[in-house]
Amino acid sequence: MRGKLRPAMAAAALLALTVAVTAAFAEEGAAPAETTPPADSAPPAGKPVTPEVTILNKHEVEGVLGREVRSSTDENMGRIVDVLVDRSGEVRAAIIDFGGFLGLGSRKIAVDWNALHFPAPGKPGSRIALELTRDQVKAAPEYQEGKPVVVLGSLGKLEPLPE
Amino acid sequence: MTDEPARSAREQPDSNEPPLRPSARSLRGLDWFIFFVADVQTGFGPFVSVYLTTQKWTQVDIGLVLSAAGFVSLIGQMPGGALVDAARSERLVGGIAVAAVCISALGYAAMPIFPLVLSAAVLHSLASCVLGPAIAAISLGLVGHVAISERFGRNARFASIGNGLAAAAMGAVGFISPRAVFVVTVLLLGPALIALRAIAASEIDPERAHGAPSRRRTDKLRAKPGDLMHSRPLLIFAACLLLFHLANAAMLPLMGSVLTMRSSRWATLLIAACIVVPQLLVAALSPWIGRRAQIWGRRPLLLIAFAALPVRGVLFASVTNPELLVVVQLLDGVTAAVFSVMVPLVVADLTRGTGRFNLGQGIIGTFVGIGASLSATLAGYISDHFGSSSAFAGLAAIALVGLALVWLLMPETRAAEETE
Repeated sequence: MRGKLRPAMAAAALLALTVAVTAAFAEEGAAPAETTPPADSAPPAGKPVTPEVTILNKHEVEGVLGREVRSSTDENMGRIVDVLVDRSGEVRAAIIDFGGFLGLGSRKIAVDWNALHFPAPGKPGSRIALELTRDQVKAAPEYQEGKPVVVLGSLGKLEPLPE
Repeated sequence: MTDEPARSAREQPDSNEPPLRPSARSLRGLDWFIFFVADVQTGFGPFVSVYLTTQKWTQVDIGLVLSAAGFVSLIGQMPGGALVDAARSERLVGGIAVAAVCISALGYAAMPIFPLVLSAAVLHSLASCVLGPAIAAISLGLVGHVAISERFGRNARFASIGNGLAAAAMGAVGFISPRAVFVVTVLLLGPALIALRAIAASEIDPERAHGAPSRRRTDKLRAKPGDLMHSRPLLIFAACLLLFHLANAAMLPLMGSVLTMRSSRWATLLIAACIVVPQLLVAALSPWIGRRAQIWGRRPLLLIAFAALPVRGVLFASVTNPELLVVVQLLDGVTAAVFSVMVPLVVADLTRGTGRFNLGQGIIGTFVGIGASLSATLAGYISDHFGSSSAFAGLAAIALVGLALVWLLMPETRAAEETE
């Protein structure tokens, strides 16, 4: 009995393996076959979907991260390290890293976006102007992520950003 | 002034250590090596954050790099010390470490891309883990335990002058271009290596540099690394230093932000003064402290330094005049002067004869790092919830616990035969 059973089991196992392997191959073969038609048909079907392109030259726009901010009386007000936007994507406030010396004693403070005035872009070394003075900014509470943001308005008054 | 170290008359009679006669040239070489290393090592650190900000890095990425560097400099302390203990040429180790700091500076300056900056920051941390012990080891190897107290005093003077000048010079250079700071650092490598070469290798006894009995190179005499972890006085000292840095590290930054809040026009200048005033005091006092440590012993000086810290905390909590805060920083200078001499000195005392001086420094350095890194978190938390005065008071309370620990548990570590 045993002598006969063993080859039979071996045959069954071999069969099972063959089926499994064939199935696997079939799957592998099927996959590209399914994906190729759309890839082939897409280009002739219509024009490639190119997003709309706007070209802005370097005298129109400029990044703000890391830029130095000066007060109306030309005091150094620190650098912009972050920008806060609301749900609609509108920019509400800039976070400036204010004060300190050699990394000591600097504080991150949120200032109203409208209190910032930007120079003509493209000029190297140009600075962003803030309508506030150091005296008006110094007492503002530090900006902390995950907490209600106190934004310093252009008249130097504090206004909490609505949640 | 200390070019001719005290010797012969005070050599211990019971050990067969030959009197050490380091040449004036070697000692001067060490002076200047420490001076330039202080420039190189601490010069560009404060500018990393500003530089990366100007390169449009986000705060998250900058924080990640700084945390990684901090973590490496914490876990690297003990391996760094062990490496210096294993080295046969402290001079070579020191030279490689300084060169590594400069390579790191080059990395920053070359291109502010994340992988490069992260590697540069980690390399800087690793090199610093080796540099500190290497300088102490060269000193000990040159002058031996008998004269080391005075030597550490002199080391602290040159390091603080180097730090102070580096801060001033880098501040001026950084004002023009943050990137130039890194280039200046690289240029300082040359003088540092020239000074290092002036120290005669033959005058550095490698056994003595590791705190082992001289000229008896038998491994039996060396303590096993684990033995140090069971040394009670060393662990007490480590605990004292952990508490000290837990109380101390956040005090100046916290005061800096208070100054920024209270004084607008002079804030920057006052913060600069708060950094420079203690440095000047360290430069002025530390050689004297090195000599006092030999006459008075270590305990009285440690107690003075620890006592100054809670007083400073309470004054920071109560004084509101910004100019007076700078005067309070004189206390920081006293503490810093004592600690810059006393930390390597007490470790040298406690590891004497073990051949594990630098591993001991690494163990202490790890505890210092833990205390210092928790300090900012703790002070920040108290300050956010209860105001900065409470934070200063809390730090002062921790300092009092440290003072009590030194008072009650810390033994005198000066070797008996060296009393005058």
